[in-house]
Order: sequence, then structure tokens, then C-alpha cells
Amino acid sequence: MDAIIQILVSGLTLGAMYALGAVGLALTFGTMRMFNMAHGVFMTIGAYAAFSTVNYSGAPLIIALLMGILAGGLIGAIMHLLVVQFMLETEDFEINILVATVGVGILLQDFLLKVYGGYPFSQPVQIDGIFRIGGVAVAYQSVVILVLATVLISALAWALTRTKFGMAIRATAMNREAAMLMGVKTSRTYLQVLIIAGMLAGAAGILISSLSTLSPEMGQNPAVRAFVICVVAGLGSVTGAGIAAIALGLFEAAIQYYFGVRYGLPLMLALVVVVLIWRPSGLFGKQEVVRS
Amino acid sequence: MTYKTTNTSRRGFLKKASAGGAGSIALLAGMNQSAVAQSTDPIVIGAPLPMTGGAAADGIEFRRGLEMAVEEINGLGGILGRPLELVVEDTESKGDDVIGSAGRRLVDRSNASVLIAGYNLGSGAALPGVAADASVVYMHADTLVAHNELIRSDPETYYGSFQYDPAEIYYGVGYLKFMRDLIDSGQFTPANNKIAVITGPIAYSINIANAIRESASEYGFEVSLFESVQAPTSEWGPTMAKLREDPPSMIAITHFFPQDQAQFMLQFMNDPIDSLVYMQYGASLAAFRDIAGAASEGVLYATLIGALQDDIGQKFSTDYVARFGDNSSPNSGGQTYSALHAYAIAAALAGGAGAPYEEEQNRKVADRLRTMIYRSPMGSMRIDPETQSAYCYPAETDDPSLGMPHIFSQIKSQTETGPIISPAPYNVATFDLPSWFKS
Repeated sequence: MDAIIQILVSGLTLGAMYALGAVGLALTFGTMRMFNMAHGVFMTIGAYAAFSTVNYSGAPLIIALLMGILAGGLIGAIMHLLVVQFMLETEDFEINILVATVGVGILLQDFLLKVYGGYPFSQPVQIDGIFRIGGVAVAYQSVVILVLATVLISALAWALTRTKFGMAIRATAMNREAAMLMGVKTSRTYLQVLIIAGMLAGAAGILISSLSTLSPEMGQNPAVRAFVICVVAGLGSVTGAGIAAIALGLFEAAIQYYFGVRYGLPLMLALVVVVLIWRPSGLFGKQEVVRS
Repeated sequence: MTYKTTNTSRRGFLKKASAGGAGSIALLAGMNQSAVAQSTDPIVIGAPLPMTGGAAADGIEFRRGLEMAVEEINGLGGILGRPLELVVEDTESKGDDVIGSAGRRLVDRSNASVLIAGYNLGSGAALPGVAADASVVYMHADTLVAHNELIRSDPETYYGSFQYDPAEIYYGVGYLKFMRDLIDSGQFTPANNKIAVITGPIAYSINIANAIRESASEYGFEVSLFESVQAPTSEWGPTMAKLREDPPSMIAITHFFPQDQAQFMLQFMNDPIDSLVYMQYGASLAAFRDIAGAASEGVLYATLIGALQDDIGQKFSTDYVARFGDNSSPNSGGQTYSALHAYAIAAALAGGAGAPYEEEQNRKVADRLRTMIYRSPMGSMRIDPETQSAYCYPAETDDPSLGMPHIFSQIKSQTETGPIISPAPYNVATFDLPSWFKS
């Protein structure tokens, strides 16, 4: 029984972190047909911003958390204003932006390297202590990760379905020209989407670094998983990305326990292949989908 | 080859060793004073180091060690009047392609006379190839038996490649012997004879773990869990669950990234079991204590090349921390520091450093490196001519002045590097049962 509880705790923790990373990516693709290859570095920027807030100003953890999330949003806005908006109308936007964001990611990662160096810092934004479920010690930090991920993703889902702003995003995702004809300022919508995706990435970065360490390349590994999750869920499906992330987190934890840690990622990828053979558009993907 | 000498007293040995270290510096200074400068052109020291990625904590220290050595050697007059200039290329903690490119840039673009690294994460074959092609000397602490096999396979081609510490194969058996001695001497009474071995995805870590698994029964132990993890590994929950289901008296972690080891200890200490935790190499770095904090206390670690805590080693460590700050790691920086000092002496003895493709002169430097004994802050660097790796003490020689010591330390305080508890005569503290033990 303890083993099952441990798998649930580890799987939900992993899944929640993956979900935060994946949902932002899914939102960007679903709305803009843009695969943001700098998404992993957005996570890293959020993590470093929170770290710096605590280390250099001694601010409370909640302020540091907000600063990290805001930093993710800010970098999303900057990337839109300096890069993305000029490429929106270009031919083959999807390919162009993919290459451009690879370049942005490299630049930002090198910038972080210059500023912070490669030393693996500890993330101060975390809660110490444990409580027990049965015989299993559960860290409060794991609960924080799960709760924060749930709150942020739920808030996004609510905003997408219940607010005018969310409807504008969904309308733009469905048909950009039609949305424009209906008065939606799509350029502003794209800016908002990149800010939201950046904020989610910033939050993911803080949580991931609280269970690992800070380093300029810390976003690479979770970004790969986020891309995989988006593909499994169906590109652009926000809710699907959240569900797929939790499911894959649990699957990975179970494999690690029953078969060995080294099989976790390979078997997760094998599962992805099976899913894509069975459903090429992903678990929640459709040819044309009203994504929420 | 094993050299055996009669034992001397610990104090007497360390005193003589200190004189030897000072003598090495005096030797270089003396040669510089009597030399007529051949040229004032700087000698470029090329350093292909993992400045980013998983091994960056070490890469940063490797660069610091080289910076410190360059300053000291230039203060002594360089090498026969020629100052040293350090050029670093990032190998990104990646494989042979990136490592080899970094080495080639150092030789072809920066005109490096020698390549000096700590370790890199590739197969160990990339930089010896670059060094052989360019006829330069290459010194590294990859700590790989693959280096020995490479040299044996073609000593003529790889005449200039030196591994200035012993191969990793000594970690595994050394750990088992250490544990057996700890138990037999009554310092540790295990509840069972089980060892859980946790290794990483790199051949180096796997070789050490395999050595423990293969030899455990010879020392009266049983490997109850053999787990391989990915790198990086942050969520240790499933592994912890297995450990708690069948608690071993000993846990040996050969996956050496300090940040991953620190996360293991943080999660282990949430609900500790009565297991003695040994961490190979990574826990010797300040980054480990920095991240793990109080959870680092009680951890055992070992390294085949670490700063000793005798007069030479202590002076080096004090100077190093004063120069680079409290979160710097003399254990790591001392590696490249020692290598560059050894190279400088060898080059001076050979009549000067060779430029790239100056095979005749670089062979002379390599010959000096192969035959000299250099007492560094990390111990005696004496090269086995057959493998061009440093001899290991006590595995290959029972004379501590003729081998690089395989040191075991235990972290007593999160703010200080662990004092050495083995082997004699370098031990300065005794083993303490970690505070997390309930019985």
C-alpha cells in the first residue's frame, strides 16, 4: 500500500510540473500555430527571477513566486514585441517561428549563463517539512506543486471558457480572419497568449527547480517532456495537455518503481509512440478543434 | 607495478612531504632564474572544460584551479621566462563531438601548447585524438580505465596523453574494503550485510557500480538493490520507496552529479532509514553541501583525487577559498591546479614548452611527465609508464609518497569540507555514526 501511495505522490508531483510546462506550450500552439522552442528557457528565467528576488532582496517566498511568474510573462511579451509580431504575416510562419525561437532560446540561455554562471544553485522558494500518509513521508513542497499547478491551470481553463478575453483567444485559435472581422485584435491576443504561456512557464520553472537545482540549462529536460505531452494530448489542446501530463507523470513513477528508474523515460516515450499510432492526432486532438 | 617501502611515522612522513612540495616550486623558480628567456611570447594553456551543463560545478572549479596556477607560475617567472596564458573552451558537459571540437579550437585557433582538463563526460577518446594529431601534451582527470586501454593499444600515438589520477576501477573495490575495515574495526555495526547500489547513465558511474556488485560477496556483502537513474534526477520517490521496503545497511551512490546527490539526501532525510550513505565524488564539492544543507551531514564520500588536509593540501585549500570564496571547492580546483604545476616543471626540465605540431619538443615534455614524481596538494602524482595514469595509493602501492591517495571523508558540518577519515597517514578525523541512525 505504501508503494502505491509513494507512486501516487511522485507521479502527481511529476505530472503537475509537466502539466504547467505543457499547458503554456499547448496554448501557444493552439492559438498561434507556434511551437515556442524557447519555452524551456522561459521556465529557467522564472526560476532565476524567484531565486534572485529572495537572495538579493530577502523578499518573502510568495513575492518571489510572483516575481518569477511575472518574469516569465515579461519575457513572453518581449519576445512577442521584438520577434514574433514581425513574423506573423510571413510565409511559412510555423517553420520560421520555430527556427527563430530556437535562436531566442540560445540567446537567453547564454545571457543567463553570463549573469549567473553555471554553478548549480539551490532554489530558495520552497516549503520545508513533511507529513505522513500511511507510512509514506510526503513533502509539503510536493503539495505546493500540486496545488499551485491545479490553481493556475484551472484559472486558465476558466478564463478561456468564461471570459471575453478567453473567448477572443479561442476565436482567434479557430479562425483568425473571422475573429478579426468580429472585432478581435488578434495581434493583442497573441501578445496576451505569449504572456500567459510565459507566466505558466515561469511558475513551472520555479517548481521544477525547487525539486532539482537552478542552472541555465535546467529548462531543457522539462521542455522536451512538455513537447512530448503536447503531442500525446493533441497539439493545441490545453485541457488535454493537463490530463496527459498527470497521466504520464503517474505512468513514469509506476514504471520507475516496478521496473527501474532507468526505464521511466524510455517506456513513457514508447507509450507515446503507441498512442500516436492509435490516434495520430493525439488523445484529445481533432483535425479542427475548438480548443479550451 | 607496485613499489613497497617500509612505513614511516605519520608526522614524519607528512613533514617530509611538505618539504617536497615546497621543493617542487623552488625547482621551477630555480630553473627560471638560471634560464635565458627563449622568447617572451606567452605559452597558451588550453583548457577544454565543462563550463555549462551537469558537470558545470566542477568545470567552474577546474578553471579556477588553472587561473590560480597560472598566477603562481607567472609569479615565479613562467616557464623558462615565458609567461602562461589561459584559454578556456566550454565542452558543455556533452559528448565526444563537442569535446573534440573544443580541443581542436584550442590548438588550431588559440595555438595551445598543452591541453589541461579536469574531467569531461565523453568516452575519453576525443581529446587524446586531438592531442595526438597536433603533437601536444594533454593532461586530464577523466578517471577512466578506458584511458589505460587506449594508451596500451597504441602508446606511440598517444605518447602525450596523461591521466593524472587513477582510473575509476579503484573506487568500487576501495569502497568495499573501506566498509569491511570500518565494520571489522568495530566503528560501524550494520544491521545486515546489504548494499543498495545506485548508479547513473554514464559509463564511468556504471563501471564503479559494477565493480561493487561483482566484488561485494568477496567482502561479505550482498547487493540487495541495483538501480540506474537518469541524469538529471530530481524526483527520488520511487527509489526511496524501494530502499524503505528492504532497508540496506549501506547505500552506495555512484551517480556523481552533486546536485542530484544533494536532492537524494534532501529526500532521504525526510524519512531516513538506518543506512550508511556513501556518495562517490560529487559530495566532495561545495555545491553538494550548498544544496543539501544540513542533510549533507553524516554523508561519506570518496575521491581518487582530492585536496589532502596536511600542510601542503591545507595551505592550498586555504589560499583557494580565500581567493574564490566560501562556495568554492579546492577538491575540484586542486586537480587542474596540480596538473598545470606538474606540466610547468616538466616543460622547464625539458627545456621549454613545445608549440602545436612541435613533436620533438613535446615528446621531451611528455618524457619528463612520465618519469617524474610531483607532490601536489592532492598527493603524489606518479605516472605508470604503461598506462600513463597516476598510481593509486593504497590500491597499487602501499607507499603513500608513490601514489595518489584514494581518500574517504565524512561531512561533519554543512559549512566545511569533510575531514579525511581514511587512508592513513592522511586521515585527520574518525568515522562518526550519522545522526539519522535510530539504533
